[in-house]
Amino acid sequence: MTSVMEIYQLLPKTNCKQCGKSTCMAFAVDLLARKLKVDDCLPMVNNTKYSSDYDKLNKLITPVSGVTETGLIVHEDKCIGCGNCVVACPVNVAADPFGAGSGKAPTSDKVIFKVEDGIVKAKNVQECRRFGENKTICVACIDTCPTKAIEFV
Amino acid sequence: MVFSVFRFGDYLSEYFVCTGCALLCDDIEVDVQENRINTVNAACRKGVARMKGCTDPLVCTVDGKEEGIDKAVQKAASILRDAKNPLIFGHGNSSSEAQKLSIDLAKMTGAYIDDTSSFCQGPLVEAILQEKLKTCTLDDVRHRADVIIFWGADPSNSHPRHLSRYSYYPRGKERQRGWEEDRTLISIDIRRSDTALLCKDERFYRIPISGDAEFMEALVSSLSGKVPKTSFDYEKKRILELSNVLRKAKFGVICAGLGLVYSLEQLDPLFKLMDKLNELSDFHLIPMVGQYNMRGFNHNLFEETGYINRLKFDPQNDEPLHGPEYSIVETLYNKKVDAALIIGSDPLSSLPYSIAQNLKDIPLITIDPCQTLTASRSTVTIPCALGGVEADGTAVRMDGAEVTLKKIIKTDRLTDHEILKMIMEAI
Amino acid sequence: MGFGDFLTLPEIKLRVVTCRNVFQNTAQETSRFGEDYERLSAVIMLDPKDITRLSIKDGETVALRNGHGKVVVKAQRSGQEDAHSGIAYMLNSPWSNALVPVPDTGKGVPKYKDFEVTVQGSKGEKVTGIKQLF
Repeated sequence: MTSVMEIYQLLPKTNCKQCGKSTCMAFAVDLLARKLKVDDCLPMVNNTKYSSDYDKLNKLITPVSGVTETGLIVHEDKCIGCGNCVVACPVNVAADPFGAGSGKAPTSDKVIFKVEDGIVKAKNVQECRRFGENKTICVACIDTCPTKAIEFV
Repeated sequence: MVFSVFRFGDYLSEYFVCTGCALLCDDIEVDVQENRINTVNAACRKGVARMKGCTDPLVCTVDGKEEGIDKAVQKAASILRDAKNPLIFGHGNSSSEAQKLSIDLAKMTGAYIDDTSSFCQGPLVEAILQEKLKTCTLDDVRHRADVIIFWGADPSNSHPRHLSRYSYYPRGKERQRGWEEDRTLISIDIRRSDTALLCKDERFYRIPISGDAEFMEALVSSLSGKVPKTSFDYEKKRILELSNVLRKAKFGVICAGLGLVYSLEQLDPLFKLMDKLNELSDFHLIPMVGQYNMRGFNHNLFEETGYINRLKFDPQNDEPLHGPEYSIVETLYNKKVDAALIIGSDPLSSLPYSIAQNLKDIPLITIDPCQTLTASRSTVTIPCALGGVEADGTAVRMDGAEVTLKKIIKTDRLTDHEILKMIMEAI
Repeated sequence: MGFGDFLTLPEIKLRVVTCRNVFQNTAQETSRFGEDYERLSAVIMLDPKDITRLSIKDGETVALRNGHGKVVVKAQRSGQEDAHSGIAYMLNSPWSNALVPVPDTGKGVPKYKDFEVTVQGSKGEKVTGIKQLF
């Protein structure tokens, strides 16, 4: 998994504050957490001398499109569509006990995980137990994934 | 149970069956646009690829040249008519309807008939049909199983939805509290497979190659209150602890994979283990059948002849010949066959090349939806509709449950049983 | 050309066990003649120690042979956390089947999950194509 240092090494390290953060390291932390985008670093976008690092950084941060508000990422290339997370997720079980909770295709639109075209898709992530005021560090979807396709950043 | 319309609140869905493996998942949602499958929901990665079809469909050919179906059927009929010892092989990916016709065709032509179970799960399916092994359905597993052993099996790669649909994660009637509390997942294997990674560390038992029989014997000893000994010095404490888990099981199941099947010279150690487990607890075995209707072939042939595979029909005699010498492996090894009809299988891919190459020297007929290695060497190739997607049919799940397949899209291609019927009529 | 290139690479004997992989199975459903199927099938998974013994790097091609055939495939670190030096894994495919023996015991079952091969680095050599296998 990508580390803050890996990201930091690719940044301009000038602490220019144009991104709104006080240091490049702070930017790296937020970038890893997907609170900011690579393009929020204006020097990297505008100055061609950073272009190769900019490309590398974009590669490193590719799953950004898949990241949800709770920091949940599905690595689609690793997912085998087994549905373990769909059935194990406590929110899915509560929302759809006779569908997802019983091992079958979800029969409710309120579920968080659903396998579409062979790959799990995360929806309704605001319902995730890791989200909101009384959040808990639930790992049901991570622990049950045989290929480590799900992570939280 | 299949192809039902399910209404749940505003949720409306029509379900289809996936023929990607012998789990025959029957909760698949499909979006069809212009008679093409657009998206497939709930199926695993492999199942989706199966249902969307291959990129190189088989073409109808005779001697490598594209021909109409009638000509191909005529040629196939003449090959089988002229052969003294034809072989009819495959059936793993064929509907039960086609399999039954295959058996009739074998009788008619005095052919050898066999299927992939002959060199994989055959011994276990046979023992189950002969009631030498106690079994149960996957639904029983979901509702009741508290101890689930994958032995020489890695469903995360071979049957991706096994754990989520039936064996570990789902809630069932007697398993309402979720997998962490209600179920124990055990992996016995020679390597830490993706499935073994899902077991807690102390529930993965790594044994040496071909160590299965000894490990079974050690478990029996341990269950009988004796000290479990193995020639590979397996930690006795761990075997004792495992046998305690098994002894306390309310409803146990061994999901037996090819690792177990290939490592046992004969099934006795497994029978002894199952007997012992059933003295103390309630244990069942389900074979991890690969192709979607391999077990169907075993059932169909068993009903007809009392054997599950490895037969030769003798036109002069009512009683078919049966035994390992009539298996595809031995008949090819000893070059006994002079023509072959291959249906729903690709033996040139799945058999060792040293014997598969003997197929190259004889006239071959392939019936399949897709281009296969066997097809690329065949005198006659006849494309058929993809079972469960382009064709209706019946199949038997890995646990013996019969499942109805309903077609999703239309095709011009004939079904496998329609093609066999034409060949039989031409003969 | 470095000095090392003039030396023959070491040959070692390994026991091979075949297994399944869902990505490779998926590729097979799509096309047995496709690039993905070859890329995912024509592979032998080795213990890091055996990679060192072979004096090769992860991802280089190796030649596998025994009394039944010869194929060139890619060598890959298995990623298994338990050491398995002396044992290698291959996926069930035409590439492994080029090497799987049929014992003459008359039982009708090939030795898919336990056979011996001689392995030698063959850097630069092309992976055997599916059509060359037959």
